[in-house]
Amino acid sequence: MLKKIIEDRVFSLLTMLIVVVIVASIVFPNTFPTFDNFRQILLNLSIDTIVAVGMMILLISGAFDLSVGSVVAFAGCMTAYLMQFYNVPVPLAILAGITASLIIGWVNGFLIAYQGINPMIQTLAMMGIVRGLALMVSGSGIQNLPYWFNAIGQSKLFGIQMPVWYMLLTVGTFALLVNKTIIFRRFYYIGGNEKAADLSGIRVKRMKMIGFIISATLAGVAGILLSSRLGAALPTMGRGLELRVITAVILGGASLSGGYGKISGALLGALFMGIISNIMVIARISGYWQEIILGIILISTLWLDKSLQKKYSTIA
Amino acid sequence: MMTSKHFLSPASKALAVAVLFLAAACELPPRNSASGVSATSSRQQDSTIANEEYVMVTTAVTMPMYVHHDQAAFKKWGKKMGVKVSILGPAEWDVPAQINTLEELIGTRPTGILVNGTDPAIAQVINKAVAAGIPTVVYDSDIPNSNRHAFLGTDWYEIGKMQGEEMARLLKGKGKIAYMGILGLTNMESGFQGLLDVLKKYPGIEVVGKYDDKANVEEAARITSDVIAAHPDISGVCGFDSNSGPGIALAVREAGKAGTIKITTVDWEPEHLQLVKDGTIQMLVGQKRELFTWYGAQFLYDMVHHTNNVGIPYQINTGLMRITKENVDEYM
Repeated sequence: MLKKIIEDRVFSLLTMLIVVVIVASIVFPNTFPTFDNFRQILLNLSIDTIVAVGMMILLISGAFDLSVGSVVAFAGCMTAYLMQFYNVPVPLAILAGITASLIIGWVNGFLIAYQGINPMIQTLAMMGIVRGLALMVSGSGIQNLPYWFNAIGQSKLFGIQMPVWYMLLTVGTFALLVNKTIIFRRFYYIGGNEKAADLSGIRVKRMKMIGFIISATLAGVAGILLSSRLGAALPTMGRGLELRVITAVILGGASLSGGYGKISGALLGALFMGIISNIMVIARISGYWQEIILGIILISTLWLDKSLQKKYSTIA
Repeated sequence: MMTSKHFLSPASKALAVAVLFLAAACELPPRNSASGVSATSSRQQDSTIANEEYVMVTTAVTMPMYVHHDQAAFKKWGKKMGVKVSILGPAEWDVPAQINTLEELIGTRPTGILVNGTDPAIAQVINKAVAAGIPTVVYDSDIPNSNRHAFLGTDWYEIGKMQGEEMARLLKGKGKIAYMGILGLTNMESGFQGLLDVLKKYPGIEVVGKYDDKANVEEAARITSDVIAAHPDISGVCGFDSNSGPGIALAVREAGKAGTIKITTVDWEPEHLQLVKDGTIQMLVGQKRELFTWYGAQFLYDMVHHTNNVGIPYQINTGLMRITKENVDEYM
């Protein structure tokens, strides 16, 4: 029953999205419904969406990660640093950046799952530590990255810039894994009822740790991609990204108490926010409103989340 | 590849075709993105001024210094000229989001774009705007590797130098100092460099620390009180963002050392000026931020209207103001 309601939420978000797109197309017929504009919207939300996929998996298992924004900055800066100052070949530098992110995720996961540190405190602390590391390796940012590194994010396929394709690949792969594989289904059981999952023989701690590793690794990939797209690694990349991504994922049907959500919901949530921010640019609505609107969207989704739960508990 | 076609199974043949097809559809970025001024598409110009729209794109759009100086002057200019002006950008200091905003803005073809030069990484999107035939002016910090039409602003290195010279004078070349700002920003780092380069000439001055106050008054105050605790003989503190000054001053006053510990910092909000007047802050380096956006917008307008057939200035340094107790009343 509840599953149906949550699935309805993905459906209702899609309906809302279509309504917003139609209204915007009528109000801004020359600037909104163009191929160029949609191409740009997709490109701009691709980085957030890749991070959102990892966050969705975590939220399904009942946890979240505040350090992803810092990991985005650190992975990009670390990769750029190795290429720029040690002339490390592009593939090796990327591998090192991803490995470093993976280690951050492992530390988060280990301390949370095995040592019982509260996920919010742990990832909040990690957010500061990793941001500091990013500042340390990159100073005020690293420019003039190698051509082949920039080509990763700046090339186009069928006229659409690569990050969009990487995003679709990530969403597709993880949607398949979460839907079809037993290992990934376990995140739902853990998020739904941790004790029951434990009693049924699932290695809850290990799975939780894997969740944090996936989230940090995807954030690392996103950071490297962002640097490649910008042609520069900035220590300020990904500021406030964690809030944006959590908002998108909740919007896309995840519940903060865990157990629910779909990978496609992460994409849908990010798409919704990307379109709203695009409309704000086209309508020339100033950045003052941005945080207000973001806050209102977040509160109304959380409120929806709560009232759905209440409704369910009375039915059940 | 073609000769080995025989030995391939139908599945791998299909795969090979798919790979070739994808490779053909793939388009690499241009080799030298900085010199990509090609094919400036002719813009159909609207002769009615009322339809003109000038857009300012910055980051941290809600920062008080930006609101009171840059944005206020830009809006005033719009009113005077009778054209529409809009201000866009993220509320946080988020350069990738500023780039995204610019990318989305270019498609809507505004009359002119005024860009806050927050980071060299925005060069690419500036070039895109220029290539699309939109007049583009950069203010505050220059983006020298871009094709921007003009730049107005100040030299941050100079801001650091002024603070260093003033500090050396105030301390008579002897003492311990600390400095703070937002770490990791290109312009601020060059300010820090200016400060350090001047202080090299004064071996009697020891720099005890560089701190990140995250453009936050409470953070600046906390750092300053920690520095005072760790170095009771600290004799000066320099600030580099608009919230450094009030924070440093708060902590110095709470420690009962107002006037003893010398403070130099940037910006001249009413709060800063009051602190200079009562002797807590010894010197402010003021930027003429109003001129960045007022004349920046005017440059765009003149470019669109071909006001002078020689074009517009390429690079303008609007200069700095030195505000001390002697001249503070002129600014209040």
